[in-house]
Amino acid sequence: MSLSARMIVVLTVVGLISGSLLAVVGLLTKERIEMNRQQEIQTAINEVIPSTKTSHKIYEDETLTVYESLDENKNNVGFAVYTSGTGFQDIITLMYGVDPSVSKIKNLTILDQKETPGLGAKITDEKSFLRFWEGRNCEKPLSLRKPAVDSPEKLAPSEVNAITGATISSEKVLEIVNLSLQRLKQIKQGGKLSSEEKNAT
Amino acid sequence: MPPKKSIGAEYLKGLWDENPVFRQLLGMCPTLAVTNAVINGIAMGLATAFVLILSSLVVSSIKKLIPNQVRIATFIVIIASFVTIADRFLAAFFPPISKALGPYVPLIVVNCIILGRQEAFSSKNSVGRSLLDAFGMSTGFILALLILSSIREILGSGTFLGFQVMGSWFKPWVIMILPAGAFITLGVLLGIAILIESKTKTRST
Repeated sequence: MSLSARMIVVLTVVGLISGSLLAVVGLLTKERIEMNRQQEIQTAINEVIPSTKTSHKIYEDETLTVYESLDENKNNVGFAVYTSGTGFQDIITLMYGVDPSVSKIKNLTILDQKETPGLGAKITDEKSFLRFWEGRNCEKPLSLRKPAVDSPEKLAPSEVNAITGATISSEKVLEIVNLSLQRLKQIKQGGKLSSEEKNAT
Repeated sequence: MPPKKSIGAEYLKGLWDENPVFRQLLGMCPTLAVTNAVINGIAMGLATAFVLILSSLVVSSIKKLIPNQVRIATFIVIIASFVTIADRFLAAFFPPISKALGPYVPLIVVNCIILGRQEAFSSKNSVGRSLLDAFGMSTGFILALLILSSIREILGSGTFLGFQVMGSWFKPWVIMILPAGAFITLGVLLGIAILIESKTKTRST
């Protein structure tokens, strides 16, 4: 066999073998990876609305996904909003829960972020950031409290705490939440969040 | 060609004499990037070891079939296949680690340790020796990541593998888990490695 023919044959064969191997691996792991994603969302919903028994997707567009959360008596106990936006360094993906009338935040959880370790990454920290979100009044856009305070009682009802040394990351989270809240209210006014409609279909 | 090393020496050279991080200065990108926590360092070390060992196995078994002109391309295809397998495997079974390592798993493809060993060793040596070499290099790489990530996690977060090891008096040095901390730690460790090397050399001559 001439050299060029050999080069072509070897590369083609190696490529074919590795391609088929990867196809098999892809098929074997695909289901599991999708399941992990679903599970992550499920865990997050239970985290942001602790009384959730079951939940289902009720609305989805390119900016956010809304899950309706039901307790054991099938009463609506709130909506979990899954959304993302730019942070200080990269996309921040988060989820938060609101009560059925979209007037109070229940809890916030950060699903994915690449903020500065030790500073901006504190947005995932319960003690210095997340606990300050519980029960915030979100009828109007939320605002940021800086300098930071040390306990949630010291905040006004619609204020959330900034992280010392990571104002931008805190601001970005606030911005993502405020934007999606505005959108959520629009969707709600459009009647797309009512369970009756969902049950009818 | 240099005289053949003994079986043991073939393995052990990766730990110190030819340690990929401290002696060859290869694979610096993952070394610096993912060593902010011990668990990430170990996961990266194991993923790299998996790719290196299997690539060495395949390359040394088919070395006679590969035309010299397309050897690099062939190596890369083989390496990339194993990297993708490792990446999918982590995403499927260890999602938190996969998330923490982010783009650095796919980047193992261009880790110079792996391509370097194929080019310098597996393509010229028997399957057995190539495997020993790959195991040795992997151990050396894992050890280096382990040392680096231990120092950075203990000083930067006050924890080891997530467990609190420093008392409450300890104020974490945030810089140690930032990129600057990686450079400082690596620089100091390289200095120590060279110091040890020069000390042992003067003694033996």
